[in-house]
Amino acid sequence: MFDLIIRSMTQRKMRTGLTIFGIALGIFAVVVMGGMSEHMTLFIDKSLKLVGSNIQVEPDGTFGGIGTLDESKIRQVKRVPGVTDAYGILITSLDPESGGGGFTGGDMVFGVDPEQQMKDAKLTSGRYLIPGDGYKAVVGSSIARKFNLKVGDELEMKSKRLQRTSSITETRNVSVVGILEYTGSFFDTSVQIPLDRAQKFYKMENTVSLIYAKYAPGSDSTEIARRIELSVENVKSKSPEQNRKEIEGQLVIFSLITISAAVLAAIIGGLSVMNTMLMSVSERTKEFGLLKALGAERKTILFMTMGEAALMGVIGGITGIVAGGILTHFLNKSFEAQGSALFAITPRLILVGLLFAISLGVICGTYPAYRATKMSPMEALRYE
Amino acid sequence: MNNSNNGKNGTNGDHATGSEPVLRIRDLRKTYMQGKIPVHALDGVSFDVKKGELLSIVGPSGSGKSTLLSMIGLLDRPTDGSVFIDGVEITKAKESEAPRIRREKIGFVFQHFNLLSTLTAMENVDIAMRFRGTSKNRRKERAFELLTMVGLGDRVKHKPSELSGGQQQRVAIARALSNEPAILLADEPTGAVDTKTREVIVELLKGLSEKGQTIIIVTHDMEVARETERIITMRDGKIATDTGGR
Repeated sequence: MFDLIIRSMTQRKMRTGLTIFGIALGIFAVVVMGGMSEHMTLFIDKSLKLVGSNIQVEPDGTFGGIGTLDESKIRQVKRVPGVTDAYGILITSLDPESGGGGFTGGDMVFGVDPEQQMKDAKLTSGRYLIPGDGYKAVVGSSIARKFNLKVGDELEMKSKRLQRTSSITETRNVSVVGILEYTGSFFDTSVQIPLDRAQKFYKMENTVSLIYAKYAPGSDSTEIARRIELSVENVKSKSPEQNRKEIEGQLVIFSLITISAAVLAAIIGGLSVMNTMLMSVSERTKEFGLLKALGAERKTILFMTMGEAALMGVIGGITGIVAGGILTHFLNKSFEAQGSALFAITPRLILVGLLFAISLGVICGTYPAYRATKMSPMEALRYE
Repeated sequence: MNNSNNGKNGTNGDHATGSEPVLRIRDLRKTYMQGKIPVHALDGVSFDVKKGELLSIVGPSGSGKSTLLSMIGLLDRPTDGSVFIDGVEITKAKESEAPRIRREKIGFVFQHFNLLSTLTAMENVDIAMRFRGTSKNRRKERAFELLTMVGLGDRVKHKPSELSGGQQQRVAIARALSNEPAILLADEPTGAVDTKTREVIVELLKGLSEKGQTIIIVTHDMEVARETERIITMRDGKIATDTGGR
């Protein structure tokens, strides 16, 4: 029966082409929007994984942005029962004049204690920071590519302070001692320098942005986080789970946009399949009547019409995925030159896109197929 | 004589070979509602057809001959009465059994040929056998055999648009025969062809009948009817005359 489906499709090339194009366009939108969402999810997922299972302590009253905490709070956190160790990091923007910073975008400087350095991100060359390092830096892969850095090269940091009506910009070079491999997380756009040098350069002595508290494996991190909030003043404390939930909550809006695009794509693509199939069925009234008179079962006719719709879905889906893949590939290439990718076309996304396209075809082909099978052969044969 | 009241299975002995009837029709009725007025398209029709018989059903438009054909072909259901093919009452068959009965017992030939325009002559014959689940090789073999028999052995790869009306009708006859049906039902088979082609078609059908194929032709054309061995004339949903008894 497959050859009959192909014949029916190729006989009406223009219409088949337009329908496939409609589905392809819908799936293309799903892939591109989904690719952005996937990239975001992966980025956050990897970032959270690399940050590890530490409780995050931040100043109370900051919302997503970066605040400041007095270093003395580290000691207070350490004293909280259940906490095995705590350390602070200072986060600032590499180039304050270009804006950026924050958890999900822009090049950032992390002032870290060399002994507490997160070593989950592997090095491609050089070494991690060691105690006693001065203005030395370990940079992420995107930073290295953007500034064309090798181990031993110098990188310029800027600090900007407001003084009355003018701002003072200071610069300072740090020498690169290590380059991290690509992680797909915020590490890629990070410059890690010793905490004390960061505090000095940015004139933020005794200050950190965040405190990470470690706890014994197996203990209740949510309970410990709550204890930290109770024992240390003016801090907000989040267990790894809470932190993840909060970030995922912020992703909801982004996901909503993606889903809306997908729904729109579904409506457009679906209507085009249904329209084509309805036209095809009414054009082929006589043919279906004849097939019935020749002894075709209802399921055979159902298979022929639904098969045609599904096949258009598959072809449209593959076309949309390939087109979306090509576009995002080139967009990523051009964004990578600036240091960061924007889309991630994952196998999961491809599968979803394909299933979506096929079900679109099948669902929207159901009604026309049903109409085709309901036809009385006698009436169909009289139909002109 | 009108043998519609004869009613006894295979005992009417009034025709041809004297074997068991392939088709038995008993008191067949079909009533349509035209608004609130009932229209009796078939009003108590009974007759038998024996294997190998070549029979024509004639009558003015609206006399019920096409309705009768669609009842025999299980394309429509009667209001009352029975149709037996090879002793099986097809009018009692479930809707789900209808396709099987149609493909195993009936071969249709239509006035306007009704070939699938996208398929070649060979594929048009092949398609009817697909629904029966015949193997691909066997289908190919049989399609070629049948097309050769109807004189189109050299046209198997041609599409309907590349064939003349008469050739198309011969493809349709080959298709109708592909599943070796008990009865070949031809609805105005010469209605859309010229006089010369009409003779070819009629000769073909006569030849098939001589080989034992039961054929029922519905026609307006008395020239065609006269070529058949038995003529049933319908009027107002009833059998007016049946030459079967001569």
